[in-house]
Amino acid sequence: MSQSGNDRLNKEALAEFRADVASWLEANCPLSQRQPIVREEQIWGGRRRVFPSSDAQQWFEACRERGFTAPEWPAEYGGAGLNAECAKILKQEMTRLGCRPPLYCQGLWMLGPALLVYGNEAQKREHLTAICRGEIRWAQGYSEPSAGSDLANLKTKAEDCGDHFLVNGTKIWTTKADEADWIFCLVRTSDVTPKQAGISFLLVDMDSEGVSTSPIPLISGESEFCQTFFDNVKVPKANLVGELNGGWAVAKELLKHERKMMSAFEGMLEKPAMELLELADYAVGSDAQGRLNDAELRSDISRHLMRETALARLGERIYWQGKAKQTDSRLPLLMKHLGTTEAQAKDELILRSLGGEGLSMDDVNVSEGLRKMVKQWAFNKSLTIAGGTSEVQLNIIAKRALDMSSGERK
Amino acid sequence: MILNEEQAILRETAAQFFAEKAPISQLRSLAGASEGQGYDPQLWSEMVELGLPGITVPEAHDGLEFGWMGLGAIAQEAGRCLVASPLMSSVVLGQNLLLNCGSEAQIATYLPSLMSGETTATVALDEGRFFNPDAVATSDASGLLNGRKDRVLDAGQSSYVFCIAEQASGDRGVALFASSAEGVSIDSRRTMDLHSAGSILLDGVPAEDTVWLAGDDVEAGIQQTIDQATIVLAAEMMGSAREVLERTVAYLGEREQFDVKLATFQALQHRCAHMYCELELAESAVSAALTALDQVAPNVSLLASSAKALANDCFTLISSEAVQLHGGMGVTEEMDIGLFLKRSRVCNQLLGTSSYHRDRFARLRGF
Repeated sequence: MSQSGNDRLNKEALAEFRADVASWLEANCPLSQRQPIVREEQIWGGRRRVFPSSDAQQWFEACRERGFTAPEWPAEYGGAGLNAECAKILKQEMTRLGCRPPLYCQGLWMLGPALLVYGNEAQKREHLTAICRGEIRWAQGYSEPSAGSDLANLKTKAEDCGDHFLVNGTKIWTTKADEADWIFCLVRTSDVTPKQAGISFLLVDMDSEGVSTSPIPLISGESEFCQTFFDNVKVPKANLVGELNGGWAVAKELLKHERKMMSAFEGMLEKPAMELLELADYAVGSDAQGRLNDAELRSDISRHLMRETALARLGERIYWQGKAKQTDSRLPLLMKHLGTTEAQAKDELILRSLGGEGLSMDDVNVSEGLRKMVKQWAFNKSLTIAGGTSEVQLNIIAKRALDMSSGERK
Repeated sequence: MILNEEQAILRETAAQFFAEKAPISQLRSLAGASEGQGYDPQLWSEMVELGLPGITVPEAHDGLEFGWMGLGAIAQEAGRCLVASPLMSSVVLGQNLLLNCGSEAQIATYLPSLMSGETTATVALDEGRFFNPDAVATSDASGLLNGRKDRVLDAGQSSYVFCIAEQASGDRGVALFASSAEGVSIDSRRTMDLHSAGSILLDGVPAEDTVWLAGDDVEAGIQQTIDQATIVLAAEMMGSAREVLERTVAYLGEREQFDVKLATFQALQHRCAHMYCELELAESAVSAALTALDQVAPNVSLLASSAKALANDCFTLISSEAVQLHGGMGVTEEMDIGLFLKRSRVCNQLLGTSSYHRDRFARLRGF
């Protein structure tokens, strides 16, 4: 068949898929699950999962049966086996109808994609399926008190004891570890140099004896993160992912997906009670010509909105360059630093605008929506720290984009 | 920027041409010329031969119709060499004002000689200390054109002046007259970036020496021209900013102190990485604006203001840092870094400062 014939056929199939998905979503996504998401109503999987509502349960179960909790994963592991084009269509249709994500899980965004590459058949079968079905909730065990930006310095030790590893040490910044069932960890299995060459990737059931967690109170008044302790924890050898001492490669694969997830998160997060411009007008008022009464705030908001739009455009440039095979490999290196810094700039504008209503996170005289903004401002200070600090990002940019050499003396 | 094949070839040709025919040493040679000479006419005639005046002109008017993205790419390359030419004054401002505001007959009369390089034009926009096209005092209320225009680019070498002025009706219009017309006196000054701009005193220019552009919607045409020129200037500035950042990073890779290359110091690496982030962010805003021009998108004005404000801030940052990071050499005339610094500050004032554009952006967005 001719190329154009194939294209036409493909186009028809895609249109059919779109129509099918749209009517399926109409029939299966309850109206309450098409409202903008609020944090308390996110559906997290796990052994101790509690659905926020029966609608949420119904929506989750419908998606689970169709593999839509992990649309691009193979059907044999609980996904829907969609190709990138169909997955994009599904996402577009879900966005159009305002459907909430049917499942939130670090296993879905981070571990799963890495397991698909590095996991063995038994691991894929056991873990991917449990993730798709929302049965197991995962936490990430990377950082340690003495291994933050210098992650390779990690010291949590997995000692070879024949049929199992004996794990001792501690992990920090483990997101929601107190609610997780399993944790994927980077552990030291050898003291060779370079340090990266002695690290393995291990899956640990948190119900194992010797695992304990302790939440870390944050400046936002919450405790998203925990410290997790391992005290003589026995882990079966079968839980090693990839090669022994080959964990660094798995970690890097996973990091790719973490960054992708960060950028895809937009629609999955709770929307603020008021958008920035609405808030500024509410807070400082506007003159007869509709100009905000605080000229400096107005100018700073302009600057932020310009930068925010430019940043989105930078993302598009990267996308289109890829399509046109004119990739500039330097540009993706800039996204994390620019994006997180601009998000914080926005939070500062919000806090400034809030004025007297932005002085407390728990003053009950201030509406909950506004207090959430204050908490968000404080929590988002972690954006430029987590997932590679801005300083590490700048190191990478200098080295890889600008070819500036690192500091060895000659 | 994503360029199509034609545009990519055009960019490559322009880059080679400017590097060969218009290096910064060529700009420096203008310093000894009269204040009214802002560019080398020989260079301009070669640029005309390359077809540069016709880049965005529709094929119906014998242009190349390579689009705004194409012109933006050329402006960037010109910016890398700080090229002094009437590309901005005569083509981006003059020709476009004629195309956007003129009647078909007027376009037919004036465009061919502008495109062939036989004549050049400039646009008299500014009045007073700052760019503010909405406040125009120049008018022909008395039947004669009176007023004073400032910072008119290449005024001393232009055959024609397109002058934004208030008409008897009270509407803003475009008066076209020869720079040699009665009542017109031009006082040219070399700006510190070695380009030339003039103040034009209009002391009773007679109605018979003046042609008012008479297209369908002159006001919209003025707006459109200002947006187009603002975006192309922002593109040119990005070329200059990129060049001066590259020169700075290269210098840090050569210069040694404390027995190591300066480029090995993290403090300096972070400053350069920060500049590079700002550069690509502003570049993205400029690229969005050029695309919007090509697509005749409704939000061109908004994107023009974003592009210029971000280009101003970015080029200001990078040119200041470039001087600092070049150390003592940065403040000498031996190097060209100072010229980039001066050019950035001149460009900031042309077609709107960052404060002007942030205010305009807010107005357009309704806050």
